[in-house]
Amino acid sequence: MTTYQLSHITSYNYEYGVTFCHNLATLKPKNFLGQTLLDYSLEISPTPAEISNKLDFFGNNITRFSIQKHHKELKVTATSKILRDYTAAPNIDENIPAKGITLTDCLSYFKQTTPELISVKQFILESILIAKITPEIKAYAEVSFKPNRSVFEATYELMHRIFTDFEFNTTATNVATPIQDVIKKKKGVCQDFAQIAIACVRSVGLPARYVSGYIETLPPPGKEKLIGSDASHAWFSVYIPNFGWVDFDPTNDQMPKNQHIVVAHGRDYYDVPPLKGVIYSTGRNKMNVEVDLRPIIS
Amino acid sequence: MPTNPNSTLFQNYFSDFRSYDEVLKSNMSINSNWQKLLANLSEIGFKNLSNKQKEINWLMEENGVTYNVYNDPKGIQRAWDLNVVPFLIHETEWTNIEKGITQRSELLNLILKDIYGEQELIKNGILPQEIVYAHRGFLRQCDKVFYNTEKHLLIHATDVSRGPDGRMWVVNDRTQAPSGMGYALENRYSLSRIFPEAFKNINVKQSSKFFYEFNQMLINCAPQNKANPNIVILTPGPLNETYFEHAYMASFLGYPLVTGNDLVVRNGKLWMKTLKELRQIDVILKRVDDVFLDPLELREDSYLGVAGLLDIIRNKQVAIVNPIGSGVIENSGLIPFMNQICNYFFDEDLILPQIASWWCGQKKELNYVLSNLNELVVKRIDRSNRENIFFCEFLNEKELTKLREEILAAPYKFVAQAKISFSTAPNFINGALEPRKVMCRIFSIANKNKYKVMPGGLVRVAAERETLFVSNRRGGISKDFWVVTDKQETNYQSYSWDNSCRIDIADINNLPSNTAENLFWSGRYLGRALVTARYLRMVLNRMNQQHYDASATDSESLILLYKSVTNITSTFPGFSGDNSEEKLKNPLKELASLVIDETRIGSFAQTMSSFNNSYYSLRSLWSKDMWRVFDSIKKLWAKFKEEKNYSIISLTKLLDRVITRLIAFMGLIEESILVNQGLLLYFIGLQTEQAMMHVAKCRSLLVPNYDELLQYEILESFLSSHESLNIYRYSYRSYLSIENVINLVILDKEYAKSLTYQIKRIKKDLDRLPNNELETTTPCKETINKAYNIVKNLNVKSLIELDDTESVRENLDAVLAELSDLLHETSLAISDTYFNHAYQQTQLVTQSFPLP
Repeated sequence: MTTYQLSHITSYNYEYGVTFCHNLATLKPKNFLGQTLLDYSLEISPTPAEISNKLDFFGNNITRFSIQKHHKELKVTATSKILRDYTAAPNIDENIPAKGITLTDCLSYFKQTTPELISVKQFILESILIAKITPEIKAYAEVSFKPNRSVFEATYELMHRIFTDFEFNTTATNVATPIQDVIKKKKGVCQDFAQIAIACVRSVGLPARYVSGYIETLPPPGKEKLIGSDASHAWFSVYIPNFGWVDFDPTNDQMPKNQHIVVAHGRDYYDVPPLKGVIYSTGRNKMNVEVDLRPIIS
Repeated sequence: MPTNPNSTLFQNYFSDFRSYDEVLKSNMSINSNWQKLLANLSEIGFKNLSNKQKEINWLMEENGVTYNVYNDPKGIQRAWDLNVVPFLIHETEWTNIEKGITQRSELLNLILKDIYGEQELIKNGILPQEIVYAHRGFLRQCDKVFYNTEKHLLIHATDVSRGPDGRMWVVNDRTQAPSGMGYALENRYSLSRIFPEAFKNINVKQSSKFFYEFNQMLINCAPQNKANPNIVILTPGPLNETYFEHAYMASFLGYPLVTGNDLVVRNGKLWMKTLKELRQIDVILKRVDDVFLDPLELREDSYLGVAGLLDIIRNKQVAIVNPIGSGVIENSGLIPFMNQICNYFFDEDLILPQIASWWCGQKKELNYVLSNLNELVVKRIDRSNRENIFFCEFLNEKELTKLREEILAAPYKFVAQAKISFSTAPNFINGALEPRKVMCRIFSIANKNKYKVMPGGLVRVAAERETLFVSNRRGGISKDFWVVTDKQETNYQSYSWDNSCRIDIADINNLPSNTAENLFWSGRYLGRALVTARYLRMVLNRMNQQHYDASATDSESLILLYKSVTNITSTFPGFSGDNSEEKLKNPLKELASLVIDETRIGSFAQTMSSFNNSYYSLRSLWSKDMWRVFDSIKKLWAKFKEEKNYSIISLTKLLDRVITRLIAFMGLIEESILVNQGLLLYFIGLQTEQAMMHVAKCRSLLVPNYDELLQYEILESFLSSHESLNIYRYSYRSYLSIENVINLVILDKEYAKSLTYQIKRIKKDLDRLPNNELETTTPCKETINKAYNIVKNLNVKSLIELDDTESVRENLDAVLAELSDLLHETSLAISDTYFNHAYQQTQLVTQSFPLP
């Protein structure tokens, strides 16, 4: 069990200023079994004229706000206190049938139409950034996914293969790099790895979703952790019949535990960008993001 | 009536093409419903029919009825093609079609409500999830958005065609932003105007009541049942293929036609930016596709929508017709399930048949489709335009394999349909009747708790004789669609209704600022075009004279004039600068380029093409006469470009003709648009541009001092380019002197072409524009005031003073320089104050996602 203090600061500097803007923020961590949001505040400067909260189609917390006066800088600070205890959630290791369910069995399970499965089955379909899944991606997936092999095992192996085959490289891709390029280059960041994994899982007909959040990073031994040195993180989860969603982090080759904080779920990054907006301006702008996630030592 | 009155009409009708026909039955007897029409056509005769067709074509072109075709080598404005022979259906059959359409509208309405509501159809296994969730028109952002109106689907268009069994079959549904009503209206108007004889003894149902109800429907959907809602029509702009119709409906219904940039969301409400202030909008009739409506929540690369719109729709602060998200029921995946859904909701079968369709998301159906692919027509569930329809019988092996692979990769995205041969109807082409496939678009609208169907609709005809598919995108033909009845109907068309609930579009305060801006720029471009054309013509005339009189002074004055052309049109380096030698040796080449080169900034052609853009954006304001004149300019231009004869004579002739038409056009603007409708903005633009060009001319020609003979040449050229030579002679009856010229063209307070008069006029017009609520003046009013105070107090003696070298009139130059700056500042200030478009909507982070 760990309690974290999280701050995520996004600031924009506008060359000629902005007269007016509308924004959407997906920054508020989720509450679920194993993660409790103890405290949350969203500070926006300048003060928005309008602000409201709602849940989106996927159940994420969205804040929308608009600023109606001229400003040269926008600063959005999300501060949270989170209690993380992954042991509170069911553990797939303790559920032998779920852990062993094969691809063939999964596929026939998803043939059913039940009201409960609607929200799960939508994650089998193509999405905006994970569309036109190529034979190359499918072939990559089928190395791990076999009809009579356990889906859990196959996904675990897929995670590991992505970790080994792909190089973590912050300059090779950007948010708009299509998955078809990523699979060729075998380079990218957490978001690319998560999306490649999702494409692979969907290519064999199973539901996979995108998870956006944070991960606690540890400083090199003997050094003190720098403030703001963390970043947003992303991984994926796969739905195992008769169990539920299971998370995998291909960037770090591990099943998320207490160091992963979940903010939102979507079909891909497009559904859950941390901050987006429309501004009324002509000039360029400069963005800066600082994330800081550290345990509270009590 | 003779047994076969139409033998001449139908000569060769079936020479090489046999199919089910609307008029001729298989035993070659005539469908009795068409008898009267055919008799009317016979009576008028083929020759007259050809003339009527020509008149219709002419009227369509005159009225500027167009359908824009993207990437069309003929240019995007294509004349709408209406065939002289209408299409008809008898009321007895129509009654059943009407019932079928109403049932279908009711059904689609319930499906739409269900998809964005409880999704019972999916939960109960009646509709497969993928048909909704894999459709790009299913907008998750619109989930659980509710509306005040009893029906969510407010406008529904259905394409139907007659199948071999003689019944009308449903081919497509249009629900996102159905087009065609305006064209249908225009078709009826034009046919009854040009060819009233066709209607003789025939009772055709009229659609006036339908449009009354249409208007009422818009009013009724206002949030909080507001009694006098403000309604606007939202268009993507003049490049859209049906822009004509948007403008047509706007002037027909009397609502402002706006683009996304005219609207803004603030304080949880929707506002239209007008010259004076923000006006709250209650209802949007949209012609923009769903995903482009809100760059905040929907497609971020859209410039057609309004950021934040979806949220205020969600909060019921504004109503939108049809609701955002209704694109999901333009869905061929629904077809195989429609009958079951109909039974689920109404416990009855569909009245109108649909084409046999197989959704590939099911195993059995997929196998059937793959093994019978050659026989089928394959579509994606969410694309119904021609480019995404595969007529498999025409595909080669390679294409079939590719299609197979695509289907297998995501089978749930595809539907296959039986190919069906639809009926033909007679079309008058090249002096004869020819059978052509037809498709009818029928419109229904919600009227409180019912649907009302427009009697008739839009009939489209296949572009070629053998073509199966009917589409306007490929440039098609249309027909007036008659529902004929045995009861008496008046052919009188009246469209009048409650006027109380509109933004008064004849009030300058309510002018959308985008329209105001376009008017302002129309004025500026026209002003620039006219001054440029006259100036170039003057220089060409001088050149022509020189051929007869090659005296030394003449050529010196010509060189000065060439250089002034570059200055006035700002087309540097041109005749000035280091490499001007070449150009001065062959000045005609450079001058011709300034006339015809559209890519050259400052050229006459480029100015005209800029004007062209503003012109199309404003088409709802222009009168028919204006269309005609403008069209003749375009034709003149096209002909000239075709002939490629760029001699002095032919260029002069072209300019002569264009100038005359430009002046006619400008005269028509003044009588066609009310000052308060925005003519004021046009005047301000026109005068500002003319004053700026005037200043440039004076600086170029009047500031330098020349010896007497040369001075004379230059002054004469100046006055003739200014069309002031006669006025000068009349006023001064003397030899040309710099002093008198300055008196006339700069200082005269009464002469419309003097700078003083122009600036006074701008000032007067600017004073009539509304101020901001708080301020008593605006920056543009201040700068023009400054300019006016300068010209008012000028003194000719001081202006003509020379500097120490006796080569330049430096006081004149200083004054003109200052006026030039003030005029530019005024223009910028007008933009800042009245057209707040300097700030465009842009994304906080530009991500350029690969959007589908």
